[in-house]
Amino acid sequence: MRELGVGIGWRSEIDITVERLPGVDFVEVVAENLNPDQLPESVVVLRERGTPVLPHAVSLSVGGAEPVDMKRVEHLAKLAYVLDAPVASDHVCFVRAGGLDSGHLMPVPRTKEALDVLVENVKAVQANLTVPFALENIAALLEWPDAELTEAQFLAELTERTGCLLLVDVANMYANARNLGQDPEKLLDDLPLERLAYLHVAGGEEHHGVYHDTHTHPVLPEVLDLLSELVKRTRPPGVLLERDGDYPTDAELAAELQAIRDRL
Amino acid sequence: MTQPQRDRLAEQQAQLLRALLADGPPPPGFDPRRLDVEATALRSKRRRVVAMIQPDVCTDLEDRFVPLFAEYARAHPRTVGSRAREDAAGFVEWLRENGHLPRVKWWRRRATKSR
Repeated sequence: MRELGVGIGWRSEIDITVERLPGVDFVEVVAENLNPDQLPESVVVLRERGTPVLPHAVSLSVGGAEPVDMKRVEHLAKLAYVLDAPVASDHVCFVRAGGLDSGHLMPVPRTKEALDVLVENVKAVQANLTVPFALENIAALLEWPDAELTEAQFLAELTERTGCLLLVDVANMYANARNLGQDPEKLLDDLPLERLAYLHVAGGEEHHGVYHDTHTHPVLPEVLDLLSELVKRTRPPGVLLERDGDYPTDAELAAELQAIRDRL
Repeated sequence: MTQPQRDRLAEQQAQLLRALLADGPPPPGFDPRRLDVEATALRSKRRRVVAMIQPDVCTDLEDRFVPLFAEYARAHPRTVGSRAREDAAGFVEWLRENGHLPRVKWWRRRATKSR
């Protein structure tokens, strides 16, 4: 992966903020919210300035049992093409099953069977993209029984069999450590970090004893500590702050970006 | 060829979503407390979207909003291809059908019409 630097998720609510914030080396857009034939003016401005804009999808459901929906893949492919993006991404998850839509990213069982299906789906996406495809680890609130592989083994085998890159979300790793008792440092030790596309960092809060990766709260120092742990092991090509609501002042966002930069 | 794998995975995933979204039985092997946490989180996310689309109706319900939405959501899980706006409209319709909203008064109707 080429060097990306420090970035922030572009959202229409903070478009002007993102344009004028100091120290934004790249941005990410939610693929489903953009029309490739009619890009928002702010995104065009960023592209004209040479700021990389990376499409990040949330609905491909590559971990789902059904073959991927080619319309969704084509949308992502077209967006990546018009943005001239260095990479496009989605999550290791499923969102639809049995005619129901969960409305959120659901974990897949870490079985060899589920991995076979995931690999086939990811290859179908890659065959239709003109840019590398990266997959992100999610924050899960529950675990499937009878896992045959650890999360690191599952992701390592996925990258090995498909050649996909990893979008490592350290806030999600932190959430899983808090909620599911996973060991985030062990996960960092075992992940194929040489396949790293970039990182996500985000804020969250605890509610009734459960940590929620809300993207609407400040980033916790513990999440930044995990970023530092990762930096000890490898130099990440990029780190992106995700903020999806309860937007703070521009100064506070700039301070969060600086806090990330200070850890690199 | 991954068809047999796909079929088994489809059933596992559908069972999980039925349990989380539509009051289905808990799938074997899952921690029931974790299923509760996940079901609540998914419902909260859905509720926040509906509250954004229908702020007046949801605010007017005050303390009844959260429990009523839970009741509605369990009986009407989001299906593939459904839109958030349809969900919000469906909630309002369900509230009205079940007598949780006051009947629209004639003067309010007129006011709406003349706009």
